[in-house]
Amino acid sequence: MAEVILENICKTYGNSFRAIDRLNLSVEDGEFLILVGPSGCGKSTALRMIAGLEDITSGSLRIGGVDVVDMPPKDRDIAMVFQSYALYPHMTVFENIAFSMRLAGKPKAERKKRVDEIARTLQLTSLLDSKPANLSGGQRQRVAMGRAMVREPAAFLMDEPLSNLDAKLRVQMRAEITSLQKQLGVTTIYVTHDQTEAMTMGDRVAVLKGGVLQQVDTPKRLYESPVNAFVAGFIGSPSMNLFEGKLTGDELTAGTFAIRLQDAAFVRRPGLKSYAGRKIVFGIRPEHLYDSSLESGRKYQTVPAKVTSIEELGSEHIVHLNIDAVRVDSGDPDAVQDFGMASNAVAKFEPESAVRSGSEIRLALDDTKLHFFDPETHLAI
Amino acid sequence: MTRQKRSRHRLKRTVAPYLYLSPSLVIIGLLMLLPMVTVISYSFQNSAVLRRDSSFAGLKHYQAIFADPVFWASLWHTLYFTCMSVIFHMTIGMIFALMLNSDRINPTLRNILRVLYILPWLFTAVIIAVIWRLLLEPNGVVNSILMQLGIIGSKIEWFSSPETALHAVTFANIWAGYPLFMVSLLAGLQGIPKDFYEAADIDGAKAYQKLIFITIPQLMPIIISISLLDFIWTMQVFPLIWITTGGGPIYSTEVLSTYTYKLAFSSYNLSQASASAVVILLISLGLTLFYIRYQKAR
Repeated sequence: MAEVILENICKTYGNSFRAIDRLNLSVEDGEFLILVGPSGCGKSTALRMIAGLEDITSGSLRIGGVDVVDMPPKDRDIAMVFQSYALYPHMTVFENIAFSMRLAGKPKAERKKRVDEIARTLQLTSLLDSKPANLSGGQRQRVAMGRAMVREPAAFLMDEPLSNLDAKLRVQMRAEITSLQKQLGVTTIYVTHDQTEAMTMGDRVAVLKGGVLQQVDTPKRLYESPVNAFVAGFIGSPSMNLFEGKLTGDELTAGTFAIRLQDAAFVRRPGLKSYAGRKIVFGIRPEHLYDSSLESGRKYQTVPAKVTSIEELGSEHIVHLNIDAVRVDSGDPDAVQDFGMASNAVAKFEPESAVRSGSEIRLALDDTKLHFFDPETHLAI
Repeated sequence: MTRQKRSRHRLKRTVAPYLYLSPSLVIIGLLMLLPMVTVISYSFQNSAVLRRDSSFAGLKHYQAIFADPVFWASLWHTLYFTCMSVIFHMTIGMIFALMLNSDRINPTLRNILRVLYILPWLFTAVIIAVIWRLLLEPNGVVNSILMQLGIIGSKIEWFSSPETALHAVTFANIWAGYPLFMVSLLAGLQGIPKDFYEAADIDGAKAYQKLIFITIPQLMPIIISISLLDFIWTMQVFPLIWITTGGGPIYSTEVLSTYTYKLAFSSYNLSQASASAVVILLISLGLTLFYIRYQKAR
C-alpha cells in the first residue's frame, strides 16, 4: 500500500496536442480517488500514465515514495482493471487470475492457494474452471478484479470498469467495488465519466476538463461548493440550471422576473457585492426548485415558468421547464443540448405534484441554494 | 382457406427452397459429381476410355498401383513436400506477420515490406517455376552466391540431382505459398485487443511470454484452419513440379499428381490412373472432413 503523488504531470502528443496540463494530485494511502470528466478530458490518459502504458512528457510521479517515471509498468507495483476487463478468452478463470503469478514463476501450490483465497472473497470459487465467454458481465468484472488483487499491489488503477455492464448490475457492482476497496484498504484510482459513480464511490473526486484539473474534493463539497460553472454543471444529475442575470442591489434580475437575495447570501460571499449593477451567472440545482402549489414550495419566492415535458419516475418527477432567462452552457461537451430550445431549465418535483405538460406555473426556488459565477471566467463567487 | 388451397400452399413452401437451389445443384452435379463418379467407375474397369467394351476389373488396378514402388515413393514425396511446405509457410508467414504488425518498424518501411512480402502470391505457378529454374541453374545466381560465400565448393545441380531435387521444389513451393499465412495471420494479429498486451505488460510478461501465452493461442483458430487448407491444396500441387522437374530425376520428385498424370497421359493406362486419382481423392476427402469437423466444432 502506498500513496500516489503526481506533480506537474504533462502529456503532449507529437502534434503538440496537450492531453494533460500540469496535473497535480496526491492520493493518500488507502484512499479511493475518482478521476471524472467528460469524454476526451484526459482522465484515461492520466491513469495510463500512472500505469506506465503512456510515457510522461514532463513532471514527476511517485508511488510509495519511489519515482516511477522511467519504470516499466511491471515494476510500478500497480494493478489495473481495464474497461474491457482484458480477460484472456483461451484461459480459464483460474488461469486468468493466476497469470501474473505464473509469469513470476511462483510454484503451483502457492498459485492455487492464493487464487482460491481470492476466489472465495469474490465468490468465484465455483467458476474457476469456466472460460470468460461462459461468464456473465458481472462475473467477468469480478474476475478482472481478482486478477488485479492477486498481485497484492501498492495501488489499483481502474479504467471505467463498470461501463460495459447494464444499469442495474452497475449499481450493484458499484457497492461491491466500494466495499471491497474498504476491505482491502488499497490505494485506488478509478476513472469514470459517470458522475453518479464518482459521487457514490470515491473518498474524493478529481474533476478534469480538457486535460486540466478543475477541482479535487469530497463528493459532498464538490456538490455544495463547485469551484466553477463546469464543475457545477458536471456534478449532479440532472445538471445544475445556469442562467445569465443581473445584480441590482439585493435583487437578481433575469428576463422579466427578479429574485430577492437575503443578506446572508452577501455575508457568505463577500465578492458578490462587487457584481452590483453587473452581469452575473447564477445557478440552481433541480432539487432546489419546487412546485409552489405543494407544501414544500410554499415558503419560497416564485418565478413564472412553462412546463414543456415531464418524466415521471415514481419517486419523483423530472420537470422540464421554460423560464424567461438566458441559459448558460457549463462547457460540458457531453451535455445533451435541447436543440428545440423548448426548455431551458429542469426541476425535480415530488411525485404529488400535479403540474401538466404545457401549463403555466409558478416555480418556487430556494434562494439560499443559489450559486454564483463570474460571467467571464465562470469561477465561483 | 379450403383444404386444397392449404395443401397447395404447403407444397409450394416445401418445393420452393429446392427450386432456388437447383441452378447451383445442377452446376455442382455436372462439373463435380459427374466427373468424380466417372473416374471412380473407370478405376474398376479394364481399358477404360480406350475400349468401348471395357469389362469389370474389380480391385485389379488398385492392387497394381499398391504393388508399384513408384506409387509409394510418390506418396512419401507428397507427404514430405506437403508437410515441409505447410510447416515453413506457417513459420515464415508468422515471422513476417509479426514484423508487419510491429510498432517498432517505421511505417514507411513497413508498407514497402508489406508489398515485397506479398509478391510471391502474385505470380502464377508457371512463373514461379521459371524463376526458380533460372535461379537454381548450375550456372545460376544461387550457386554463384553460395560459392562466393564459400558455403559450397562446386556447382550443385539443384533440380537435376536426385539428392537435392525434392528439397529444391519444396523450397520453391515454400517461397510461393507463405503469403497466404502471412496475410491471414496479420489479419488475426490486428484483431487481438491491445488491452491483452497492456494487461500482460503490467503483469510483467516478457516478449516471448506474450507470444506464447497471448499471441499464439489467440491465432490458433487461424493457424489450424489455414494449415488444413494449405495441406489439402499443397497435396495436389502439379504445375510447379511438372515444370521444374517433371517428377524426375529418376522419380526423385514424383508426387501423386505427377504419378497419376504420367499413368494417364504417358502410359495411357487410364484405368490405373483413375485408381491413383481415387486414392488422392480419398486422402483429400479425409482431410476435408477433418477440416469441416474442426470448423463445426468452433
